[in-house]
Amino acid sequence: MPVTMLHHVMGVDGYYPTLIALWLLPLAGAIVNWAFGPQLKRTAGPLGSAAIGASFVATLLLWGAATQHSADGALGAHQALFNWIPGWDFGLLIDPLALLWALIITGVGFLIHVYSIGYMDGDNAFARFFAYMNFFVFAMLTLVLSDNFVGLLVGWGLVGLASYFLIGFWFFKPTAVAAARKAFVLNVVGDVGIMFAIFAIFTAVHSITFGDAFAFAGSYGTPLLFVICLCLFIGAAAKSAQIPLHTWLPDAMEGPTPVSALIHAATMVTAGVYLIARCAPLWSQNPDAQLLVGTIGGLTALIGAILGCAQWDIKRILAYSTMSQIGYMIMGVGVGAYEGGVAHFFTHAFFKAQLFLGSGIIIHALHDEQDVRRMGGLLKKLPFAAWAMGTGVLAIAGIPGFSGFFSKDQVIYGMLTHGPHSHPWLYVLGIVTAGITAYYMCRLFFVTFFGAYRGDVDPSSLGIRHPELAGTPPSDHEKEPEVEHSPNAQWFMIVPVAILIPFTVLIGWIMFGGENSPWAHFFEQQFPHPALNVPAISEGLTGLITFAVVLVGIGIAYMRYATASAQSNAVERLRSESIHMPAILTHAFGFDYALDWLFVKPAEFLGRFFGRWLDPHVLDGAVRETVISAQWLGALTRSFQTGLVRAYAFILVFGAACFIVYYALAAGGFH
Amino acid sequence: MNPMTVPVANYIALSAVIFFIGVAGVVVRRNPLIMLMSIELMFNAANLLFAAFARAWWHNAGHIFVFLVITVAAAEAAIGLAIVVTVFRSAKNVDVDDVALMKG
Repeated sequence: MPVTMLHHVMGVDGYYPTLIALWLLPLAGAIVNWAFGPQLKRTAGPLGSAAIGASFVATLLLWGAATQHSADGALGAHQALFNWIPGWDFGLLIDPLALLWALIITGVGFLIHVYSIGYMDGDNAFARFFAYMNFFVFAMLTLVLSDNFVGLLVGWGLVGLASYFLIGFWFFKPTAVAAARKAFVLNVVGDVGIMFAIFAIFTAVHSITFGDAFAFAGSYGTPLLFVICLCLFIGAAAKSAQIPLHTWLPDAMEGPTPVSALIHAATMVTAGVYLIARCAPLWSQNPDAQLLVGTIGGLTALIGAILGCAQWDIKRILAYSTMSQIGYMIMGVGVGAYEGGVAHFFTHAFFKAQLFLGSGIIIHALHDEQDVRRMGGLLKKLPFAAWAMGTGVLAIAGIPGFSGFFSKDQVIYGMLTHGPHSHPWLYVLGIVTAGITAYYMCRLFFVTFFGAYRGDVDPSSLGIRHPELAGTPPSDHEKEPEVEHSPNAQWFMIVPVAILIPFTVLIGWIMFGGENSPWAHFFEQQFPHPALNVPAISEGLTGLITFAVVLVGIGIAYMRYATASAQSNAVERLRSESIHMPAILTHAFGFDYALDWLFVKPAEFLGRFFGRWLDPHVLDGAVRETVISAQWLGALTRSFQTGLVRAYAFILVFGAACFIVYYALAAGGFH
Repeated sequence: MNPMTVPVANYIALSAVIFFIGVAGVVVRRNPLIMLMSIELMFNAANLLFAAFARAWWHNAGHIFVFLVITVAAAEAAIGLAIVVTVFRSAKNVDVDDVALMKG
């Protein structure tokens, strides 16, 4: 039913210049960095960071406006921007959900920008990097601040573009270009999904605003609602690296490490979580869609964690852990435990950014070495990185008291309290994954920081089959000219991480206290609150079980990598593990092959069919036949044109004679 | 025989003879000068008819047409001769069969 007369705005309508400033400041930074990069030189970094910092301050100023709610149910602040076709009203909306995302995007984004000043120091394309980063923040803010689906899709596409720019930032590396292209293509699959969801929503309500789409969610009919949720989830899965569309995320680690921290861990990849949390009114009315999304999320968490155990590249380990943790978030928001899923996004943004930035410090110190087998013994060399990684590992593993514990516990316990029959299998999946997470993160920590430094060991004795792919061989390190770093470059890297550490450790406590926690109050008006199941297992017991499983995971990792004997013959053990790694894990369960066979190969076949058969033989053939007949006709008529005057004269006379004969006969002959 | 009494059919017959001599000249001969002269013959065959009919029906329109035709024929001869001179200059030859530049 067309309902254009009724107009639903989600926030309190008004004029909020701060909101517009918050949104456009990063764009201004991007444009200035882009246009004046060569002139700015080193100031590009501080300038780009300042734009994001100002945006963060604006976000803080909007706290009150974003959390206000009026008697008629409006929540947050709404700023109308412009109207287009009736039903296509564009505006900005900031409510607690958008506020939370904006805080992370600009806050963590600011720290990562500052970090990048140190990390990218000495790079030729310093200003270009900050232009892209600012552009990304702008795109991400467009995504979360939009009050309608089309604006969201615009932001959604732009973050994909920014991600493409930044993965392929070092465009002279063929692997980086391939990874960027792969990420872009897979993300466009998701964009198309959202586009179809918008078509369906517009058909149903003749409006693209969230307010209208959600207000009439009950009138869609179950099949249509399921299709809308499915299409939206295709978008969410592609962006948030859910199976089977996750394969781009590990490859995306080709980008600079701050990019991995900002885009492929803290913000962009959680856009799918945002989308589902934003569309909570749709999902809560369709249990089938909830079950689907929850299951995919749970499986992604498990598969990501298992694959994390088989990686040697420090950033790829973190990439798979990101995929796994987003699986938790999707599982949480999927089954309806919105506070839990969003909480895990919140804590994850801190500890994963910290882990990535910490790994960046290591990679930087070891001259772009990323293979953990060639690290080891870094505890003494890089004590600060050890602190950063250590607290991050404890948080992600879910040690009680650390932030990751609270949020993960909320998600896992939410599996029991939500849904008509609760989701015991997802509950078990969540707990098992927590154990595996603890194992592979501790494996990363022990291999990297314990034992002796292995960077000068022959790569082949560590089981690295292709040293040229696994990093530069040790002999090159001496020859490599030292990159000129400004003396305080390392402080730009250390300070942001130092600021992140207390958040990583402590921020979870705002979720402590169940219904009465500040966290629950913050989202009181945001999400639907159906009646919860009362499971046999209490939340405290869930926490205990999870902790026990986590301890088992840590114990196994300790036995394998950190005991005295494991440390003393680490080289031999790592070599044996590398060589005996099951093929199914090194091939990442064959998702790449499966996608290749299902989509790429048929597409190539179709391309060949059209290019080598249909086009040359049918389409070109028709054109060629037309040409040939025209040529034949031309040759025929040309043959009359002899150029002989006497022949023309004869034809003239003959023609005239024919006329005469004709009229003579027509007149009945001569009298 | 009194010219006034010569029947108009004789003029038509003579005109037809002259006309076909002209046609034959244009079709058969290869010298453009002869061809131009043959064209003049055809013109004059037509003129003869005009004059004969004008006389037979006492109507001056035929005489007027004769003058028009003579004018056109003079112009045509001038242009034709100019073309012949130009062709001769470039081809050193005035055989029309050799000048077949418009062959398709």
